Amino acid sequence: MNPISDTFFRQMVSRAIRRDYLENVTGFALLFLQPLMLLAIYTFVFTTIFKARVAGDSSVAFVPYLAVAFWPWTAFSESVLRASGSVRSNAALIGKVAIPAEAIPLSTVTAAFLMNMAGYLAVLLVMQLLGTSLNWPGLLAALPLLLMMFLFSCALALFLSALQVFLRDVGKILPPLMTFWFFATPILYSSSVLPERAAALMKFNPMAWYVERLRDFILFGNFELSARDLAVPVLTLLLLWAAHRFFKRVSSHFEDFL
Amino acid sequence: MEPLVRVQNVSKIYPRVHRPGERLKAFAALLAGKPTVSGAEVLHDVSLEVQPGESFGIIGENGAGKSTLLKILTGVISPSSGHVSVNGRVAALLELGAGFQPDFSGIDNIRMKAALLGMSARRLDRKMDEILAFADIGDYVYEPVKHYSSGMIVRLGFAVVAASEPELLITDEVLAVGDESFQKKCIRWIERFLEDGNTLLMVSHSMYQVQKLCQRAIWLHGGKAKMHGEVFPVTQSYLAWHEEKNAAERRQRRSLKGESGQYRVESLQIEGWPDDGTALLPSGSSLKAELVLKSPDGRPPVALIGVMRADGTPVYGVASDYDQVQPLALAGDSYRFVIHFDQLPLLPGTYSLRGHAMDPEGIRLFDTAEIRFSVGGKSREMGMVQLPHRWE
Repeated sequence: MNPISDTFFRQMVSRAIRRDYLENVTGFALLFLQPLMLLAIYTFVFTTIFKARVAGDSSVAFVPYLAVAFWPWTAFSESVLRASGSVRSNAALIGKVAIPAEAIPLSTVTAAFLMNMAGYLAVLLVMQLLGTSLNWPGLLAALPLLLMMFLFSCALALFLSALQVFLRDVGKILPPLMTFWFFATPILYSSSVLPERAAALMKFNPMAWYVERLRDFILFGNFELSARDLAVPVLTLLLLWAAHRFFKRVSSHFEDFL
Repeated sequence: MEPLVRVQNVSKIYPRVHRPGERLKAFAALLAGKPTVSGAEVLHDVSLEVQPGESFGIIGENGAGKSTLLKILTGVISPSSGHVSVNGRVAALLELGAGFQPDFSGIDNIRMKAALLGMSARRLDRKMDEILAFADIGDYVYEPVKHYSSGMIVRLGFAVVAASEPELLITDEVLAVGDESFQKKCIRWIERFLEDGNTLLMVSHSMYQVQKLCQRAIWLHGGKAKMHGEVFPVTQSYLAWHEEKNAAERRQRRSLKGESGQYRVESLQIEGWPDDGTALLPSGSSLKAELVLKSPDGRPPVALIGVMRADGTPVYGVASDYDQVQPLALAGDSYRFVIHFDQLPLLPGTYSLRGHAMDPEGIRLFDTAEIRFSVGGKSREMGMVQLPHRWE
């Protein structure tokens, strides 16, 4: 099978963007509307009903605290959920033309990230205009973080999309798992409010590390990193390598199972 | 010279994956690296090679494994065992509209397909006018492909493939969908493509097209290579096999029961050949046959001798009493007839020679014997016999 050519991959990404995002009446607007609506709902629930405050740091309002972590999470969960079903939903393509199959989940992830990052940028701008002080150099430092998150999503997407061809149950189990993962990640809260044992468990959640570093960089301007912080990026790259190998191993048999 | 396409002992078994249990088992076997052993075997131990500049035909009945072989060649699926290598720039036209996204416009699909064929965006821009001219579907290119007729889809697909300047073109029976003038355009393009030294691998049910375009062919039957080699013997055997199959079906329907009465055929032979149907006569050679009939009453019977195509279509028949021929009496009330066909004008193919025993009045037919023979040779003439002709 031919390696992915640039032109082909760009075509796949633009196809995914149009298919997943631009076919709605609201088009691009939806991209901002949907996360904004969710943000509004969470804000209402957590600030009006639960009177949530950011534990440990009263200088930051709850909404920016949530928003900075929320968009990257959405990019992550949306891309993994969409991509995990993408090989099956493109069965017609795989069975008929010789395409490098990994282009399908990878283009889906790329499209979801591009779209959500555009939304992220817009929201950050809106917040800055509304008076939240963001750490713009931190945003620059966040870029490699976001890139690593993207690679982490790619790894899961490759693994899950291939697995779902063989085990269709994956598509059913994944959405609730993703919801659980959302609540198990310090997005709506800070991990410092957790009881000790839960906080210890949090160390095993790579997404927790990602969102907390994003907050550190963008909101708090805290760039302190220790050697232990290498763990998640290294894990991400290892995972990506393993997922790619797994995908390559089984992708030549997709047609038999689709 | 390095072959462009090399297929070595390729087999394809589709594992059973319909029930969840079977799926899980097949997946476990795959992860363990075990070869698929149980399931539907659609190809068994097929090998072939195609040299650069050659054109090669794949023929066979529906379900013989032709499309599966093409899918393996194009890398859409991988073989269960065996080895495949394909070199050079390959373009494939397999199923109708394969890889087209129905919701996207013709232009978008051209871009996608071109990208799949390895064309860069810049090269595609240069070629776009050429593609649109070749496809010739007017403003429909801006419509979603789901509104297209099947002919328009083929036009679009072929136009992009033509523009990608492949070295090896692999086509399935898709061209049959286009209309007359588009088919001609495609054939002209393929002929020029071959003249330029490129390579063609095609599946077709039209033996005429295969003979016209290909030098060599493989006949797949039930997933196995039944015959492989020069295009003429392969296509002729394939056609003969079909004719025979049809004839056998017809015979079965009629459940023809020969009236075996008093006058019997003792033997029928083509001189110089055993009577097992292996007789192979060069086109234009002569055929000498001997028919021995048995008479119950000492009166010489009438012989009727005929030639027919393998499917039973009569070519020529003649009785001994028309020509007022008397047989040679042998011992034991047997009578020997010998007939010569000098310079047999039959075209290459499979035929049978029939000898009948009739009563001395030449009215009732009592017994029949049949012997098969083939006429060999390479000819693109059509039909059964060569009619003497001249051009002016």
